[in-house]
Amino acid sequence: MKLLGAALVLLAATLFGFFQALQFARRPRQIRELISALQRLETEIVYGSTPLPEALRRLSAAAAEPVGPLLGGVAAALAQRPQTPLGELWREEAERVWKRSAMKEPEFEAFTRLGLALGLSDRTDQAKHLKLAAAQLKAEEQTAREEQKRYETMWRSLGVLVGALIVILMY
Amino acid sequence: MPEAILSYMPDSLQRILRPVWPALAEQLEEIRVRENRPLELRLSGGSRFVAPGGVLTGRPNEAYMPTRSDCAAVLELLTNHSAYSYEEELRLGYITIPGGHRVGLAGRAVLEGGRVRLQRDVGSYNFRIARQVVGVAKPFVPSLLDIGAATLHHTLIVSPPQHGKTTFARDLARIVSAGEWPPGAWGNGPAASRPGLKVGVVDERSELAACVQGAPRFDLGPRTDVLDGCPKAEGMMMLIRSMSPEVLVADELGRPEDAAAVREAIHAGIRVAATAHGNDLDDVRRRPALRELLGEGAFRRIVTLRRKPGEPLQGAVWDEQGRRLFATSGWAGGLSAGAGYRPAAATAQNGDERKGASAR
Repeated sequence: MKLLGAALVLLAATLFGFFQALQFARRPRQIRELISALQRLETEIVYGSTPLPEALRRLSAAAAEPVGPLLGGVAAALAQRPQTPLGELWREEAERVWKRSAMKEPEFEAFTRLGLALGLSDRTDQAKHLKLAAAQLKAEEQTAREEQKRYETMWRSLGVLVGALIVILMY
Repeated sequence: MPEAILSYMPDSLQRILRPVWPALAEQLEEIRVRENRPLELRLSGGSRFVAPGGVLTGRPNEAYMPTRSDCAAVLELLTNHSAYSYEEELRLGYITIPGGHRVGLAGRAVLEGGRVRLQRDVGSYNFRIARQVVGVAKPFVPSLLDIGAATLHHTLIVSPPQHGKTTFARDLARIVSAGEWPPGAWGNGPAASRPGLKVGVVDERSELAACVQGAPRFDLGPRTDVLDGCPKAEGMMMLIRSMSPEVLVADELGRPEDAAAVREAIHAGIRVAATAHGNDLDDVRRRPALRELLGEGAFRRIVTLRRKPGEPLQGAVWDEQGRRLFATSGWAGGLSAGAGYRPAAATAQNGDERKGASAR
């Protein structure tokens, strides 16, 4: 009986460690995805003059989790509540998606700040805002990669080790 | 019909305007939204402010003051959250919305090389409600027809802003295109049931046809082609080459290149109907481009229009000699053809018109 309990504790701790490691591995990938979506948005705006709702729908079809649903969610919210300023909808959707994603606070800030400017000025200005947001995200991607290197393997082994420690202490 | 306008207002303004809407819809001419200044409605009877809760008032200090975020929201709604795809409209200062309504904008101009590139921080909106008045030009049509050539005379339509020029030009295009000739306009004979003419409309300011994505929102008749948003001079030449119109209709002549294009069209055998700003012909003659055209006798018919709020359109038709050919029953002669345009052999009737004008 005690053995079974010990095995469960060890398993839980190991899984927790692996999950944490996975989050560190996912974060730079998701930021990367977000950056490339913003670059495509810039093309749509600067060269296509595509209206924002249409551009967001197009991008959401092409982008992977969680960026696709994020932009699709903004497009859907725009269609449903056109009276609400875009910046507000943009933030609401971001809050919803960020909870489920591996991305953290600094990316969220950069992304929502972009939402406050999007669609409100001419093409040159829009391009500047998009470039700025992409640059900020790139910096975050860089730190995310460093953190990944540092903590990913650490968490993977830490889980098992902490599990083992608890088991030893309990015995 | 103006219901569509409300969908371009944020919730805060809709809440205020909705209660007054049904009662006013018919007489509403403009809605003025100005940042931190009273919300104003221009009715055919005058100006009213709107207080919170949808109460009309004459006192500006009781009125609702649209906030900065209200104004920002209006721009977002007008541009479909994509100001960048309306750069040209922001430069020109107006956006046309479905229904043919025109929203004028005034904000801070952004310059580039000394020219306006676009406007930002828009703080004033003027929702001008467009109504097509079908049949408004009909009484004038018989005096505008060139019976011998079986077409329209070259016609210049003159009135001050807001006095029905564009409405008149729009209806004239529709009548000519549809062939809706008043009975007896062509005399009695086989010609009486003449079909309509091919009409080309150069709609530089999207006011005549109110195109939304290329399709006219107003009825301009079955034989009408519209070139939307195109500079008049270039547009007239494009239509002549590509669409072989019999009558060209254009809004607001005034620039030198417009005059050249009109001349070109006239030489190509095409009849031109155009509008120009002005109280009367004297005003129009002070503008260099138009003075030349009038001096050459390019326009064989001049229509002067005047409209009092809530009353039907009044107007008169003059020929190139300054003789009055037609006037509506309520025409008081307030806007005469103008002395300067009248050659030495002016008619006594015209003199009376002028006296009437100065007495008013």
